[in-house]
Amino acid sequence: MTAFDANWSLLTPEMVLAALALLVFTIDFMTGIHGKKPFIGKLSVLSLLVTAVLVLFMNNSGGQIADLYLIDSFAMVFKLIILVGVAMVIMISLHYLDRNEEIYQGEYYSILLFATLGAMIMVSSADLITLFIGLEILSISSYALVGFKKHHRHSTEAALKYVILGGAASAFILYGMSFLYGLTGSTSLLEIGQVMPTLFADYTVIMTISLIFMLVGFGFKISIVPFHMWAPDVYEGAPTPVTAFLSVVSKIAGFAIVLRVFTFGFLGVHEEWVMIIAVLAAVTMVLGNIIALTQKNTKRLMAYSGIAQAGYLLVPVAALPFIGTFSINMILFYSIAYLMMTLGAFAVISLVTEDAGTNDLSSFAGLFQRAPYLAISMTVFLVSLAGLPLTAGFIGKAHIFFGAAAADMLWLAIIMIVMSVVSFFYYFGFIKQMFMTAPKANDEELKVPTSLNAVITVALAVTLILGILPNIVLDVFNTFNWFALF
Amino acid sequence: MMLNILTWLVFLPLIGAIIIMTIPKENVNVIRSLAAITSGIALVISLVLWAGFERGATGLQYATTAEWFNIGFLQINYEIGLDGLSLPLIVLTTIVTTLAIFASFSIEKRVKEFYLWTLVLLTGMLGVFVALDMFLFFLFFELTLIPMFFLIGIWGGKMKEYASFKFLLYTGLGSAIMFMTFIAMFYKAYEAMNMQETTFSMIRMAEIFADPANPDVLTGAVKGALFLALFVAFAIKLPVFPFHTWLPNAHVEAPTAASMILAGVLLKMGGYGLIRVGVGILPDQAARFASLIALLGVINIIYGALLALVQTDLKSLVAYSSISHMGIVLLGIASFTTAGMQGAIFQLVSHGFISALLFFMVGAIYERTKTRTISELGGLSKSVPILAGFTLAAAMASVGLPGLSGFVSELLAFIGIFGASAEILPAATVFGVIAGLGIILTAAYLLWAVQRTTFGPMKEKFVGLADARPMEYVPMIGLLALSIVIGVYPHILSDVINTTVIDIVSKIGG
Repeated sequence: MTAFDANWSLLTPEMVLAALALLVFTIDFMTGIHGKKPFIGKLSVLSLLVTAVLVLFMNNSGGQIADLYLIDSFAMVFKLIILVGVAMVIMISLHYLDRNEEIYQGEYYSILLFATLGAMIMVSSADLITLFIGLEILSISSYALVGFKKHHRHSTEAALKYVILGGAASAFILYGMSFLYGLTGSTSLLEIGQVMPTLFADYTVIMTISLIFMLVGFGFKISIVPFHMWAPDVYEGAPTPVTAFLSVVSKIAGFAIVLRVFTFGFLGVHEEWVMIIAVLAAVTMVLGNIIALTQKNTKRLMAYSGIAQAGYLLVPVAALPFIGTFSINMILFYSIAYLMMTLGAFAVISLVTEDAGTNDLSSFAGLFQRAPYLAISMTVFLVSLAGLPLTAGFIGKAHIFFGAAAADMLWLAIIMIVMSVVSFFYYFGFIKQMFMTAPKANDEELKVPTSLNAVITVALAVTLILGILPNIVLDVFNTFNWFALF
Repeated sequence: MMLNILTWLVFLPLIGAIIIMTIPKENVNVIRSLAAITSGIALVISLVLWAGFERGATGLQYATTAEWFNIGFLQINYEIGLDGLSLPLIVLTTIVTTLAIFASFSIEKRVKEFYLWTLVLLTGMLGVFVALDMFLFFLFFELTLIPMFFLIGIWGGKMKEYASFKFLLYTGLGSAIMFMTFIAMFYKAYEAMNMQETTFSMIRMAEIFADPANPDVLTGAVKGALFLALFVAFAIKLPVFPFHTWLPNAHVEAPTAASMILAGVLLKMGGYGLIRVGVGILPDQAARFASLIALLGVINIIYGALLALVQTDLKSLVAYSSISHMGIVLLGIASFTTAGMQGAIFQLVSHGFISALLFFMVGAIYERTKTRTISELGGLSKSVPILAGFTLAAAMASVGLPGLSGFVSELLAFIGIFGASAEILPAATVFGVIAGLGIILTAAYLLWAVQRTTFGPMKEKFVGLADARPMEYVPMIGLLALSIVIGVYPHILSDVINTTVIDIVSKIGG
């Protein structure tokens, strides 16, 4: 490689987002630390939308910066999902921060924007160092976000747990990467991928350790069993919109890098890891769903539900070597479905639990009488999470099921379906509270603020439309060549 | 664009539900009338279909196909149509649902939601009976799940939550097995056509399984496994022993209208699926497992009857009688004769009317006496003679008294079983005799129950109970009349189903 004549303009969306995040930061300083600042939240949403438009615009270039940074369709779609997801998280936050004044609002939004930036870098990177930097920007921002209710013991405890365990996970990833670098002398996933088959044959033990270490670290980030222990505690302690952010945006970004690393770096030796991923997926689906059955706290329940959902998303990763980029379609479609149904559910949860002052499932009692639209929307989100027809969640799961069957992993597909039936039990537990239990005596009609209403309506519309006409998205996916380099 | 009349029929209730959604919940009378009108129109459409159905013509009528969506290389079509198997069940569905809506005018709790769910349920049930694309069939099958969950869970009895969750999990598991089997069938058909053709169409699937381009794919073991999986999926719904345990809970806890629909229509989806998908696509395997099906049929008859005999609650007695009666459907199917298959379909329809009537009567009695415990009832023929009379008539119909529809279906099923070919069903006579003895039990538990509840000395507390209201005559007379009509003039039904039955049975060479 000669002098670095990179086309830096490809980084426009990232640079613009960074600049806007700094702007948010500055405005925050100029307006004093305390107090409600909904305008900063709105500015942040605007920043994300501007960035999203730029991302869309950049797609035509299809370029790359050396082998470090790829602007391919894969990255574009993941970035759009992430940006839309964070925009929805901020919309949920607007209401939440209005109710929780001890949170320093300006900082909150700018850190959320930086976290988004980290996620964007992650999904575009094709180099171990770049990837790690993106991951750490996201992770460190997330640690801070979890502890934002700093006068609450739970929030602080969650942040501490998250930072220690997250740090350990990062160390695992870095350690795993160091073996790769040590043996290849390169941090480029493309170069590593080219020599991988011979490398693996020569240094089987070291390569296996490297692979497993990275898997442990990534497994933590996407919260799959057995690296999921942190999730329930952190989700419970974190402010609800941050919980939504962790369970959706950070998880989807995590899947993006898992896909990058395993397709670019390790596809040549897929027989070594397919079984491991398949077993992890199975264990994650089984444990996530079964432990969720016992949960009475909405946020812990959503944590286990999120673990189970990560298991579903892991199935196409295991099938990837056999069905190729079909897997990417599945993962991206399910990511969109997961984003919409989970964020929709969190919007409702945030409103209901804040109103009740408790995260207990019983705060949903009689919601249908108090706010019919909210209850019906929540039902759609839950039914979609459970994978019942006419919702995006069903199409996504059916799609993954077909893929697993086509990849001759019928056993995995069967576990997935059976566990979906188990999940009926806890998702319908919510529904039971909303429709079949009488509201508490002093509960009145619940007013839904505009920002939350917008999030819920968008999520509802997308969940239903993609459930009935999935081809709106799938046809677009089919025109994409996910990895421009292959 | 002029939409297919079947499409109108299926989605009309959904439109009705959406209209009801816009009406303020205080206007209960408007909501009730709208629900009744919607289902009434569906009933009229189904009768128009019945009248216009070309008897004696093979193949599908009123059929239409449109591309819906595709996932990867899987094309899902909106493919619907009618034949002699689905038409009677369509009419059964619209009649029972309309009458159930009339029967539930006395419901005062959350009226709007009640009719909303009932109409959504109606769309799901009608969809199941017209769908010819397996994926679409599955979607409609699942669509019935959520409304029934709510109907039981909100308007049900004391243990409604337990019952609704049990219903949800059992039928959810059944659907999951069905879905997996459908996908497996899809892939096997795809392989059998040397990866040249993908289809979810039941019609095409049956052709492929009968005549695959690559027969090595569809070995006996593969097909056998597929059939057994399908059987389990539908057995949960029918229900077949040992998958029946959800039924007593669901039926007993459900409100009257939901019990009527559950017993009257939802169970029939299991029987219909077994004939349409199981026997329709894998006839040779159905014949191969005929003994198993017949055995389970006999167990259902006897076991359901014995359990019914010991029930102390009138509604659970009726619920267990449903299990017993569904055994006859299995027996009829297992015979693989024209008569037996006719008997099975007759039983689906006949039991639909009779069980709906029985559940209605139990509901009406409970509403007045506030008890369903048989020992606490008694002498109802003196306090509420009309209700007692109809209860007796319903019991007679259920027992299978000649001149009523139950008799025809049982007779046909038994003619079938005794005429079954020895190759398909070696022990046909044994099954027939044992099942015949089981039928006697039916008479025992039903008549004994009627005797204990309606006759005997009148209890003090039941003096002065109001007898049937005018609105209650509609379902009572309607359902009983249908049972009588089919019993006296079975040709009205056999006329429609014959061609299809002969077509199904001919696939097995019977």
